[in-house]
Amino acid sequence: MVKKCASRLYMALIFAFLYLPIVVLIILSFNRSNTRVNWKGFTLDWYVRCFQNENIMSAFATTLEITFIAAILATIIGTLAALGISAMKKRGKTIFLGATNIPLLNADIVTGISMMLLFVRFTHLGFVTVLIAHVTFNIPYVILNILPKLKQANRCTYEAALDLGASPLYAFYKVTWPEIRPGVFSGFLMAVTMSLDDFSITYFTKGAGINTLSTMLYTELRKGIKPELYALSTILFFTVLLLLIAANLNPDKITAPVSKRTVYLKRAACTAILASLVLGSLAIFADGSRFSSDGPSITVLNYGKYLDEDALREFEEESGIKVNYEEYEDPEEMYTKYKAGSIDYDVICTSDYIIEKLIQEDEVLEISYDDMPNYQNLNPDIIDMTASFDPKHRYTVPYFYGTLGILYNTELVRPEDVESWDCLWNGSYADDMIMIGSVRDAFAPALITLGYSLNDTDETHLREALDILKAQSAQVSAYYVDETCDEMIAENAAIAVCYSGEAGEAMAENDHLAYSVPKEGSNLWIDSWFIPKTCQNQEGAQKFLDFLCRDDISMANFEYVYYASPNLSVAENQDAELKENEAVNPSEEVLRRCEVYRALNDEKTVLYNSLWQELIGHSS
Amino acid sequence: MNKWKRQLLAGPYLIWIAGFILLPLIMIVYYAFTNADGGFTLEYLAEIANENNRKALLLSVELGVVCTVVCLVLSYPLAMILNGLNIKNQSFIVFVFMLPMWMNFMLRILAWKLLLSKNGVINTALSFFGLPGIQILNTPAAVVFGMVYDFLPFMLLPIYNSMARIRKDWLEAAKDLGANNLVIFFRIIVPLTVSGIISGVVMVFVPSLTSFAISQVLGGGKVLLIGNIIEQDFMQGMQWNAGSGLSFVLMIFVLISMALMNSFDKEGEGTAIW
Repeated sequence: MVKKCASRLYMALIFAFLYLPIVVLIILSFNRSNTRVNWKGFTLDWYVRCFQNENIMSAFATTLEITFIAAILATIIGTLAALGISAMKKRGKTIFLGATNIPLLNADIVTGISMMLLFVRFTHLGFVTVLIAHVTFNIPYVILNILPKLKQANRCTYEAALDLGASPLYAFYKVTWPEIRPGVFSGFLMAVTMSLDDFSITYFTKGAGINTLSTMLYTELRKGIKPELYALSTILFFTVLLLLIAANLNPDKITAPVSKRTVYLKRAACTAILASLVLGSLAIFADGSRFSSDGPSITVLNYGKYLDEDALREFEEESGIKVNYEEYEDPEEMYTKYKAGSIDYDVICTSDYIIEKLIQEDEVLEISYDDMPNYQNLNPDIIDMTASFDPKHRYTVPYFYGTLGILYNTELVRPEDVESWDCLWNGSYADDMIMIGSVRDAFAPALITLGYSLNDTDETHLREALDILKAQSAQVSAYYVDETCDEMIAENAAIAVCYSGEAGEAMAENDHLAYSVPKEGSNLWIDSWFIPKTCQNQEGAQKFLDFLCRDDISMANFEYVYYASPNLSVAENQDAELKENEAVNPSEEVLRRCEVYRALNDEKTVLYNSLWQELIGHSS
Repeated sequence: MNKWKRQLLAGPYLIWIAGFILLPLIMIVYYAFTNADGGFTLEYLAEIANENNRKALLLSVELGVVCTVVCLVLSYPLAMILNGLNIKNQSFIVFVFMLPMWMNFMLRILAWKLLLSKNGVINTALSFFGLPGIQILNTPAAVVFGMVYDFLPFMLLPIYNSMARIRKDWLEAAKDLGANNLVIFFRIIVPLTVSGIISGVVMVFVPSLTSFAISQVLGGGKVLLIGNIIEQDFMQGMQWNAGSGLSFVLMIFVLISMALMNSFDKEGEGTAIW
């Protein structure tokens, strides 16, 4: 009796461990508040938004397409292969099975990278490359599920059928197929499960604008958590749950003695098939445009959370040009993505110093400003500021500018504390501090505190800065970039180093937050658009840039990101409070003590990168 | 004759192996052994001895082992309990324990982030009862939580399957011959489930050793595993040769651990988990 109770209790505990997180997601999906835990009343809004969110819906559709096409292809190739392998002599068998084991045993990250290297060398990353990668890691599951069935099958019956005059195909269909069918089925099912859940391999082999649920969620999670995602989790969970219950209420009548495993498999198979039908029709319904997209297109690469998605739709509708939109978090990441050459980008937005580097490397095309009537909406003073990276002003269109500073919670921090970068190093905010997780921005405050320029590249100076950062790391609760805003709104930290716009957005949500640019000086950055050499549709790219300069679109983007816009009408049309908000519009006085980053050569980039790894390795 | 023809069916797969399994591995090896100008070098393989990388690898092994052991300790009793349930609702209950696996991998991590964050669900609940909060988000402990949650079904399933294959009359025979429960457990149940344990260990250890997404999201950018270094080398640092060198070392490392584990698994059932 005691034993029974103990085992019940144990099951209940594990059950709680497995389901508690899911229950939390479900409850929060009905919560009106968009911060984490405060219950502010019941709502279904997030469900509506989830279905309206093009990002989520198209990732959903892509996931289903990849999963099912890959599983079907893998099942066909794998079944044929299993039939062939079973007819082989020992040596052939060993070789084939050895090769089959490689994707199973290898780490996902290694498989993903090896395929990326191959694809980048011989073709471009896109939908097809993800599909090939999925087929590759699916085939082994199919083969390993079928081979045991073939081993059990009696070869003599097949040969007897041939002797009795059956054609090989007929004999296969009548004799072999019934024996291997459960294996084929369970192989297909495993392939589906593996594909649905894969992240690493997709992450390395996907092209611009292609996202499965996993990779979309990874990007979204790093940008901060949206309640739509709770709704998505809830929908996914209940779909699977309902199908499971349906499959269980209507169990197949079992006549022959079958093992429990087969019953389980059959049910799982029913579930999967039903699920695919329901989800598939949903996806097609949600994303009809996918099947009619042969027109002109442009591939856009931009920072995360840096453009109002409604504006993108508007551009697509007005111009008839489809936009493949891809985001990145860190300027170095963008540089690598571009240099890898695996995707032909048409227009890119990035930081000043990266553009300077790309101009030096002759990777940038000249823009013909005459074809952009809306370009005159931009403030000439701001255009002058771009001279640091685009001296003759031939290559760039400024998009947003701002500063690097400290976002702090006024309930926990005194304003005079954050007038100096010292507050980051003197230990007053241990474990209550978010440091910025991008390489140069993390080093800048340290360099400035030491009295060096943030463009100093002397290795001994950088090492001194590293020492400060290392000493600080024990007190840092996390290194974030796009997540900072959410974390500060949720009051998970007292101070954070972040960009001005990030701060502006957070301050709009939480009245306790304020922003300061320390007196020692900081970084002024101007993010701009440029057209890279890989551009396939320069006319489309210019149209897109012109569209972004339009007053209403600039305003929409300004309201979306809260950074200072070079557009004149945006500056005029905001209310007085915003105009004076230092986090949104840096004053002249602040701009004077700020400095723009200059380009780093390859050697210094590698140096920075290894110093960064040393820092993070030190803190873990 | 017929047999020879039938072997041809494996042809498409042979092409697939050559093009998409072997060739990519050759690419990694090529990048790992050459420098940016294409000359032969061993410099990138030696990078693993560099302090940053060595630390990250050690931490990855540590977290991987902890995660695997925790999964094993949690799953084994559960598999025994599930196996002992009466037949009627067994498959349903097993499915209930598998169901979270069908939720997306990333959503499962998201849930833990919500639970563990400073003003998150667990801490709110704790402070409601006047208890001190816990601060484990952005530490290796949170990463282990996420890994265990993500990989537990991969341990449970193979162990449960191998246990389901043990025939009840064997256990009864042992009892009739005077064995007590402890003897039955160590002399019969454990040896007969070794293949399940091994495939479970493989299915959990490899992904936890090489994961980078979980440590990125739950580690707050502060937990640097070998997977994170490789990811950064490829996606941010533009150091493909160095990244390939590390990948190559990681691959060898994984293969050696597999070989060691497989030497225990004489029946070769390890990889077929369903």
